Amino acid sequence: MSVKTDEQLKEKILNVAKKNPKGISHKDITAAIPEISSADLVTAINELLQQEYFDLFNQNGVLIYRIKAQTSKQAVKGADNEEKVVFNLIEEAGNKGIWIRDIRVRSNLANTQLTKVLKNLESKKLIKAVKCVNASKKKVYMLYNLEPDRSISGGAWYQDQDFESEFVDILNVQCYRFLSQRSEKMKNNPRGPIVGRTQTYATAAEVQKYITDLGISKVQLDVEDVITILNTLVYDGKAESSVYPDGSKVYRAIEPLIPAPGLVQVPCGVCPLIYKCASTGLITPQDCNYMKEWLD
Amino acid sequence: MSHQLGRVVSAILQRYFGDIVQQVGSDLFTYGSKPIGMIVKTTGLARSLVIDSLRTLLKFDLATFEPSANELIADYKLIPDNVLLLIRYPRYLLQMKSKYGSEAELLVEELLQQATCSASVLLVTIATKYKDDKEKNITILKLKEMFISLVTAGYIQQAPVAELKEGSEVPTLVPVATIVPDIEIRPLIQAMSSGDTSELKDNIYWRVNYDRFHLDFRDEIMIKAITRRIDENAGELMRFLLEQMYLKSPAWAAESSPLCALELRERCRGLAAERPLLHQYVDQYLKVLEENGGGFVRRVGDSGGGQLCVRAGLAARELVLAALDHTVTERLGSKAARIFRLIRARKYIEEDDIQKNAMLVNKECKQLTYKLLEEHFISVQPMRKAASSGGLAKAVYLYHIKLHDVSQAAQELCYRSLHNVLRRARSTRTAHARLRDKLRRVRTIVHGMRLRGEPQRNIDDVEETLTPPELAVLQDVEKQLKQLSTAELELDRNLFLFKWYFMYPEK
Repeated sequence: MSVKTDEQLKEKILNVAKKNPKGISHKDITAAIPEISSADLVTAINELLQQEYFDLFNQNGVLIYRIKAQTSKQAVKGADNEEKVVFNLIEEAGNKGIWIRDIRVRSNLANTQLTKVLKNLESKKLIKAVKCVNASKKKVYMLYNLEPDRSISGGAWYQDQDFESEFVDILNVQCYRFLSQRSEKMKNNPRGPIVGRTQTYATAAEVQKYITDLGISKVQLDVEDVITILNTLVYDGKAESSVYPDGSKVYRAIEPLIPAPGLVQVPCGVCPLIYKCASTGLITPQDCNYMKEWLD
Repeated sequence: MSHQLGRVVSAILQRYFGDIVQQVGSDLFTYGSKPIGMIVKTTGLARSLVIDSLRTLLKFDLATFEPSANELIADYKLIPDNVLLLIRYPRYLLQMKSKYGSEAELLVEELLQQATCSASVLLVTIATKYKDDKEKNITILKLKEMFISLVTAGYIQQAPVAELKEGSEVPTLVPVATIVPDIEIRPLIQAMSSGDTSELKDNIYWRVNYDRFHLDFRDEIMIKAITRRIDENAGELMRFLLEQMYLKSPAWAAESSPLCALELRERCRGLAAERPLLHQYVDQYLKVLEENGGGFVRRVGDSGGGQLCVRAGLAARELVLAALDHTVTERLGSKAARIFRLIRARKYIEEDDIQKNAMLVNKECKQLTYKLLEEHFISVQPMRKAASSGGLAKAVYLYHIKLHDVSQAAQELCYRSLHNVLRRARSTRTAHARLRDKLRRVRTIVHGMRLRGEPQRNIDDVEETLTPPELAVLQDVEKQLKQLSTAELELDRNLFLFKWYFMYPEK
């Protein structure tokens, strides 16, 4: 058998495998390429396995060949065995990343060696280290081209592991503005209060569209992100949420039940020294500066 | 019965009754109940002064008495809650004026000043006072009618009668059922013209029924809250519901007995011209009230076109929560209020979860949580795990809100503030006492001169004894005192809310 036909055969097998990303069995190959002899097939597959085009699985007693992702095949080119092992572990972890301790345990490599391997891979831009938002000291490794998972990066609210409170505040204000624009329709609606109430409700998707149209966010916000913001509005007491019959959450702006009570209208209600204030002594109501400012 | 309450009560007694009554009142507050002899001993006042003070306190229902162990002498006890009502008087008068007009206001004002009074003396006194006032046009006939309608509405009730029990020297006050009186007008007019009230044979004494006023205040708060949340029509509907509630259940019930929606519809039909929307969409309004009205109203059944009940207890809770939200917002900022509300929504929550849901920077969030804890707005419940084999047994700290305790703390804060405002007003008054005195004297002299018809030049001379800087200071002081008294009223409103909430037992 010439080298050329050998290459052609491999190409054909690979094509079949590419069409079935879940993997192919011996039968599939013979069905797709009926002219092949089983001896040729065995040599071809052996070669392909050696060149690491395929992963080999045993599924219910049948051998399954699955094509490997192209990048990983190229990535490990020219790497030694340790690097390959570590790389595979990191690859497996996907966009959740893997902790260095777990790599060590699972690869059985010594600490110094592992650090060296990781450094190597990092310098080749094959993997990257990402800081975890939950624990600032914890670093996880993942493939270079992957976007870190929400649980690692914290989602849209984090920029380089820092929580962007200003961004959240702005979104909070904008969401409230959107809801409060609608809230007026409830009062004395000529078509009845239920229609009025429905008009004041806004679904999270509507709010998300409004926020996206405003263009204040450089990152794309999902409906989930907007729901977290809307929930902060609920906790601020500026909105209440309800559920539509179809299960989607809706929000509407509300006013507090009572205006500011007497306690906060006097300086004492907000005074930081109130618990130190007495009839005699250094802090007394008679010559209190806060009172003086308030009365003037 | 806290230290702060004692300070407020003492300050109020000082303001309205002077130093001696204040001394006696504070003494009673500190020691609970004690007989006259003991009061004389601890206060060091003359016996006659103590007796006079006690008389005043008893007259205004600020203290009670009961036979002590040996049945011959009485123990006296202060009623701090009633002392606090003294600063609510302006609100009672305003309520009367807006609801029944100026005659009712005069009646209640006079009755509040007299504490207890017989109907005929009350009517004659007021009529004599305003005999010459052409503007108000007060006649004894109108006053009498108003008195009767106030009694019927329950704003005025019969004072309790003292009864001597057998074998005891100390009388007990027995409450009397109020019967609407039938007042004859002729002897009153005679007494008015002769100016002698001693001949009036009237021994039924009356006093103001604070509770009836408080019910009005409660209704007003609830209606206003609904109006803020939904709209005026819903507020009106709430008013009807409350009116119905009075007919069917005890006025302060935490949850009313079921009310029939059919009757409400009837009521709304009557108002079709005034509130067409309410009439047209009664059922929708009821539904919205039920779903978005802060839980004030609950549907209990569908018979008879729907059964509803008013949940006053829950309403009090919601309103107190709203007040607390405001307090937290003002004291620690809106971010802290967010945490406060978050904890409330979740009942029990871990620190990590607070950070995740409140969308705040970790450090800031922790700081605010601890600040809330420090000011007793939230509490922490540690959950210790059984000692595990490896490493430290980590405890879970759950944050939660004990509403009753938080409200107590906020009420204390109100007492403190109220005391401070009273105290400040007092010191402002004493600081400018000389000037205020002078102003008063000048005004009396000028008034007298005007009556005598003296020339304008002389009047100007007298008026000029007050220099412009003095006038400026006086104006300033007046402004300050006005602001302080507004603050008193507002604080009292706030206290009313808490008192209403504490009326229902902790769940």
